[in-house]
Amino acid sequence: MTMLASYLTLAAVLFCVGLYGVLTKRNAIVVLLCIELMLNAANLNLIAFSKYGVIPSLTGQIFSLFTITVAAAEAAVGMAILIVWYRNRVTVNVDEFDELRG
Amino acid sequence: MSTSFAEYAWLVPVFPLAAFAILTAMGKGARNIGPWIGMIGTLASLVLSLCIAFERMTDNADDYSKSIDWLQVGSLKLSAGFEVTNLTSLMLVIVTLVSFLVNVYSQGYMKDDERISTFYAYVALFTSSMLGLVLSDNLLTFYMFWELVGVCSFLLVGFWYNKPEAKAAAKKAFIVTRIGDLGLLIALLLLFWYMPDHALDFTTIHNVFSTPGGVISVGITTLIALLIFLGAVGKSGQFPLHTWLPDAMEGPTPISALIHAATMVAAGVFLVARTFPIFEASDAAMTTVAVIGAFTAIFAATIGLAQNDIKRILAYSTVSQLGYMMLALGVGSVSAAMFHLFTHAFFKALLFLGAGSVIHGAHTQDIREMGGLGKTMKITAWTFGIGALALSGIPPFAGFWSKDAILAAALDQNGILFAVGAIAAFFTALYMARLYFLVFTGKSKQDHHAHESPSSMTIPLIVLAILSVVVGFVDTPFKSWLSEWLTGEAPEHHGSGIVMVVSAAVGLLGIYIGWLVFVKGTVRRDAVSSRAPALVKTLERKYYVDELYDLLLVKPLRSLGKALQAFDDYIVDGVVRLAGYSTSALGRLNSRLQSGQVQAYALTALIGIVILALAIAGRRFW
Amino acid sequence: MFNFNIDFSGEFFAFFSLAICAIVGAVLAINFTKVVHIVMSLAFTFVALAGLYILLNAEFVAFVQVLLYVGAVTILMIFGIMMTKHDGEGQEPARPLLETLAAIGCLCLFGILFFAIRNAEFPAQVAPLPDDNTRAIGLELFSRYAVPFELISVLLTVAFIGAVALAKREEDPQ
Repeated sequence: MTMLASYLTLAAVLFCVGLYGVLTKRNAIVVLLCIELMLNAANLNLIAFSKYGVIPSLTGQIFSLFTITVAAAEAAVGMAILIVWYRNRVTVNVDEFDELRG
Repeated sequence: MSTSFAEYAWLVPVFPLAAFAILTAMGKGARNIGPWIGMIGTLASLVLSLCIAFERMTDNADDYSKSIDWLQVGSLKLSAGFEVTNLTSLMLVIVTLVSFLVNVYSQGYMKDDERISTFYAYVALFTSSMLGLVLSDNLLTFYMFWELVGVCSFLLVGFWYNKPEAKAAAKKAFIVTRIGDLGLLIALLLLFWYMPDHALDFTTIHNVFSTPGGVISVGITTLIALLIFLGAVGKSGQFPLHTWLPDAMEGPTPISALIHAATMVAAGVFLVARTFPIFEASDAAMTTVAVIGAFTAIFAATIGLAQNDIKRILAYSTVSQLGYMMLALGVGSVSAAMFHLFTHAFFKALLFLGAGSVIHGAHTQDIREMGGLGKTMKITAWTFGIGALALSGIPPFAGFWSKDAILAAALDQNGILFAVGAIAAFFTALYMARLYFLVFTGKSKQDHHAHESPSSMTIPLIVLAILSVVVGFVDTPFKSWLSEWLTGEAPEHHGSGIVMVVSAAVGLLGIYIGWLVFVKGTVRRDAVSSRAPALVKTLERKYYVDELYDLLLVKPLRSLGKALQAFDDYIVDGVVRLAGYSTSALGRLNSRLQSGQVQAYALTALIGIVILALAIAGRRFW
Repeated sequence: MFNFNIDFSGEFFAFFSLAICAIVGAVLAINFTKVVHIVMSLAFTFVALAGLYILLNAEFVAFVQVLLYVGAVTILMIFGIMMTKHDGEGQEPARPLLETLAAIGCLCLFGILFFAIRNAEFPAQVAPLPDDNTRAIGLELFSRYAVPFELISVLLTVAFIGAVALAKREEDPQ
């Protein structure tokens, strides 16, 4: 196994753990956190390819900077929505958000 | 005259058919006029039939037949038509005469019934169908009218449909004769298959089967003959399909006289007579016919001895006499069979109408409750007595000459058959004597006095009684005019003197013993029943044949029906219900997926992605 | 398939220990019951990832990771926890079907990824990365990637305005 393969495997593990958390956890905040974990795993992939990839360049690192920024913005907006929802429903349990039912 | 009456023979069934149509159209409003319409219809047919018959008797004309093309399918052509021969013209007279007398009689008997116009409509339809059957020139139209006659019998036996026994009897009559009809249908199909040019008319059948070494093998001929005989067994109530006839007595007495004594049951005999060349070509079939006929004759006579219902005794007597006719056909004598049919029609109709008169007067059908009716119902007693003597075969009444002809033919063929026939004649005389003495003589067991029936009922009795006396003389061993007219040749008579003496002696012996037991009292009435109660019980229960059929056939068929119904309910319906249930279950399952839970949706998306990736990536493995 | 030709260098040990930290942090994150514990273990994972970035010669990204994720996102989540009530902690009703299927799905996904990784062929690297990471990133960012840079700034503006607009309390119409 090359180093690249190890990094990619680690990223895959983190991604799957984060995915399990997104699908299973009841608290909406925890779900948002696990989404951040998944984004981090993707970042790790990018940076690993930037160093060990076919043409090593800085493109991967710059891409990951943008990804981090977008993730932060999305976390902020997601949290705002959660606050608003909590204000109305007094709950943060994901399985009680069933407006789409039927 | 240039035109002969035979050309108009097709009108004979049309008159009663028109009466049926008018009566059905008029409905309940025809209570008063209905009987007259029926009577006029049958009277018109009677007059025309008599004209045709006289014309044939005097002119000795050739057979007349006319047919039209009915159906043409490719190279297959079916025709329908009528045929006037000596045989058919004789049957025309019998059917129209008895039908007319029954129509007259019913006006008195059924006067208080509110469905009387329906009754007359059914009787008219029956008469029309029976006449159509007689005149048919090919087996296909014959079968059509055969079935129609069965339907009319069903309608009339179940006429009083509020009685459950009548309903059951009507169903039984139809179903049991159906078994016979199936045989006839298969025979018809076999004939259609084997006959050259698929011809089914009687003339061609006569030609094909009369030539020795013909185109059809003996095996097939025997099969066809036996199947036709099966149809006759069903319709004429021979063993083993006799069980429907006594039960059919649930119908009104006039139709017992018309259908189950004189005409419809004779249709079986008529069928065998019409297709006789087929039987003559097969020895096995002839033997079968003779044996079954003889057996039925003695079998039914013994049952008749132990019955207590006046109509049932006469029903078993009919079965027994039809057995005689089949015996005559089996030994080769069509003329003896038709002669006996001719005389039997009159005296059996007389006996039934007389029984109806007795029932009308005594308001009961059980002979043990009757007695001494001869004092108050004189005309009925005299005419009934004449009918009983005719049936018992006492000279010079009609039954003597016709039974004598049969026994003579049987003696020519086989001594055992003759002996069986003679013993059956003894039993016949015995049960008729028992019936007569118990009903008309002795002390009255009823508290009210029976009065004589109205003239609309007694006049037909008188007419039939006169006929029962006179009609026998058309064919005696001294001058066999009827046989020559029917078959064109004079039958040979061997030992006819012995036969005459034996049959007369046997009949007189039966009446004498009956007189001893029931009038004089020298022999105790329960002489047999006290010493052999089991025997009497068996006879009374008709040899348990009905119970046997119920056990062997009816119950298994019913359970099969129940099993199939369960199959239909659970499996076939189950499949249908399953289809509906599975659709709604699928819907319920799918609605569970629309739970509104985002995580469930995400999970579904993940599983979809995984499956897709596996499918695409795994493609290089197969 | 599992041919482990590992050269035990220092890089490998560093990678291995940081990887263990990251995985442990992630797994604990989904197994804790109290939310605050979950946030803390996830922050630990983020720090371990920053270490991995340093190992990959991406110092600037590691710095940004610590600054943004550990500093901003984690604090944001803690604020969210503080502002919402979570009385039902630890009393979660089990959803066995969902959890089982999710586990199976995730395992299958990991299997697919692992299989893809194992069967991929990575040619050896051609040129090393520049040493002065931050300067090189700055040069790239403001020359080649200037347009995405501006777009990102617009996105951030929109995001924060949107967040404020969403979370603003409705004023009483007086």
